[in-house]
Amino acid sequence: MKKYFPMIKSIVLYTVLTGATVLMSFPLFWMISSSLKTVEETNSPGVVWIPQNPTLEAYTAIFQNQDFLRSYFNSVFYVTLALAGTLISIAAVAYAFSRVDWPGRNVVFFLMLSTMMIPAQALIVPQYVFFNKLDWIGTFNPLIIPGYFAGGAAMIFLLRQSMSQIPKELDESAFVDGVNHIQIWWEIILPLVKAPMATIATFLFVGLWNSLLTPLMYLQTVDLYTLPVYVSTLYNINQTVQPWPTIMTAAVLTTAPLIVVFFFAQRYILESVVVSGLKG
Amino acid sequence: MPQNPYLNVLVTAALTVVFIVASSYGLGYIARFIAKLSGASPKKQENTFAGYFFAAPWIVGFLIFVVVPLGFSLYWSFTNYRIASGEPTTWVGIQNYQTILFEDDGFRASLINTLYLTVIGLPLQIGVALFLAVLLNQKMQGERVFRMAFYLPVILGFNTAVLLCWRLMLNTGTGIINQIIRSLSTAFPPFNWLNRAVIYIQEVSAAFFLGLNTGKYNLLLKVLEAGFPAENRVPLWVQSPLWTKMSVVLLMVWGCGAMMLIFLAGLNNIPKELHEAAEVDGATPWQRFWKISFPLLTPYIFYNLVVGMIGALQIFEPIFVLYRDNQPIVSSTISMVYYLWQKSFSHFEIGYGSAISWIVLVIILIVTVIQFRLQDRWVTYDIY
Repeated sequence: MKKYFPMIKSIVLYTVLTGATVLMSFPLFWMISSSLKTVEETNSPGVVWIPQNPTLEAYTAIFQNQDFLRSYFNSVFYVTLALAGTLISIAAVAYAFSRVDWPGRNVVFFLMLSTMMIPAQALIVPQYVFFNKLDWIGTFNPLIIPGYFAGGAAMIFLLRQSMSQIPKELDESAFVDGVNHIQIWWEIILPLVKAPMATIATFLFVGLWNSLLTPLMYLQTVDLYTLPVYVSTLYNINQTVQPWPTIMTAAVLTTAPLIVVFFFAQRYILESVVVSGLKG
Repeated sequence: MPQNPYLNVLVTAALTVVFIVASSYGLGYIARFIAKLSGASPKKQENTFAGYFFAAPWIVGFLIFVVVPLGFSLYWSFTNYRIASGEPTTWVGIQNYQTILFEDDGFRASLINTLYLTVIGLPLQIGVALFLAVLLNQKMQGERVFRMAFYLPVILGFNTAVLLCWRLMLNTGTGIINQIIRSLSTAFPPFNWLNRAVIYIQEVSAAFFLGLNTGKYNLLLKVLEAGFPAENRVPLWVQSPLWTKMSVVLLMVWGCGAMMLIFLAGLNNIPKELHEAAEVDGATPWQRFWKISFPLLTPYIFYNLVVGMIGALQIFEPIFVLYRDNQPIVSSTISMVYYLWQKSFSHFEIGYGSAISWIVLVIILIVTVIQFRLQDRWVTYDIY
């Protein structure tokens, strides 16, 4: 009996873990399955696990929906623009906190860490007034420009940790050769922190792609809507029968980039969540 | 500024970059000048320039987007400032704060709802995360795949599209979750009993919390009077005020992957020798978990608790997507941030909204400080 114990244990373990995986991924399966159904099937009282005659009707329809396509473009456009600026400014600030020794560094660093306690939402009201004064309501500016000022203390912290681990001798020998700080930052340090940069880019991408509150506040017209805002309008309480296949098709197309990015970046993410989470 | 929205933001972004670079040089030169005056060595002057040059984007952004807004909102919180109203802004003292803390039903509801999520939701979420972490810690083949599968919901979590899928699944009549509950209930009588017991406990506790909200316990009495749920009862996820918070808890449990990773790191940090020694002494796995792993994991549990509680104050997307259009039940699940958004941007009462922001800010600071103080009492950092 005793010798079978490890085998039984691993069978139980795998069964439980597989069960949990099925439960955790079920919404994704249901999303894809529902996108291939007919409206009747999604609203029927009986369970339709996999549609009898999968139909791509919702997909062909949504590729002709100008509003959806525009919101997709808007999301890609704004996320790209915001990501580029945020990433570069974070890289610059992390360099200052890790590779340069300057008076006041510890004070500024402490200030930066303490901003992590300020919830972004506590700032939405005054920032709204500020952007209103600048006449930025109804433009993409409020979603993009703040990030250019190294938005995201946790991300700066994460990158600073990685940059600190690079041996000091590397840039010191470069200094002797007459290379300046900007060159060291761009040509020596940044290539060495590609992996953490990829992690940070992924986190920023996910945050921007999923963001609902700020686009909702600042993008007032349909032609500026990003995906989350537009998709939320597809569900309409005034309709008795919801067009679920259409909504779920939009959902599949909205989540696809997230899943692709996660798949490629998962190795870095799964490790750094722990680093940033615990020490932050 | 160009009319085209895309061109407009591109131009603004370019101007912002110019502004940031200019302010970087400006700050750098000023810092170097001060260093020079104080007689620093040329090398030190160079470093001072570089430090402020590279840190400038954050310093300038901190002033523009954090310090100044916080200052203004503190001032506005003592006024009746409203955007788009012609009336002049007047100083009202602490009136906004008084109204929010003592008379505002919506704010009270958001506080109680956060309490519910903390008392009932977080333990469930932390429990599931810990359970999954302990399973994954067994070091077996394919661990990475499971880890990915459990973390994916965190990435997808609060995306509107995914939340709409939950709305489809949680539909009371035709949703797949209730369909499964129904068929399992018919097939296995014990499951039916379990289902009804869970419904009963959940509805009584939710009714109690709703009672705390309004100060009237009619609903609780009604639930108690109705007695044990009938055989064909199913949860009323997004339909009844008794269930809205539970739906949010369900989403929290689904997204427990981030907490799970923290626990995995904690389990990894436990010295192997402790478990080996205990095994030699004949301790069962169950005993080893409670006597060795659990005490050593308390700092991680504590960390997840703080983060989870602060997160509960800020839940926005699920409420917006699941309940926004169902006004009568929104207040049963509203979070503090949702309330802040609703209050500030429905009537643009900036003064009142600013006061709410400051209360949220202070609550988060207090929670953090209290929990850091308390952690000394019950958190075990080592058991040697």
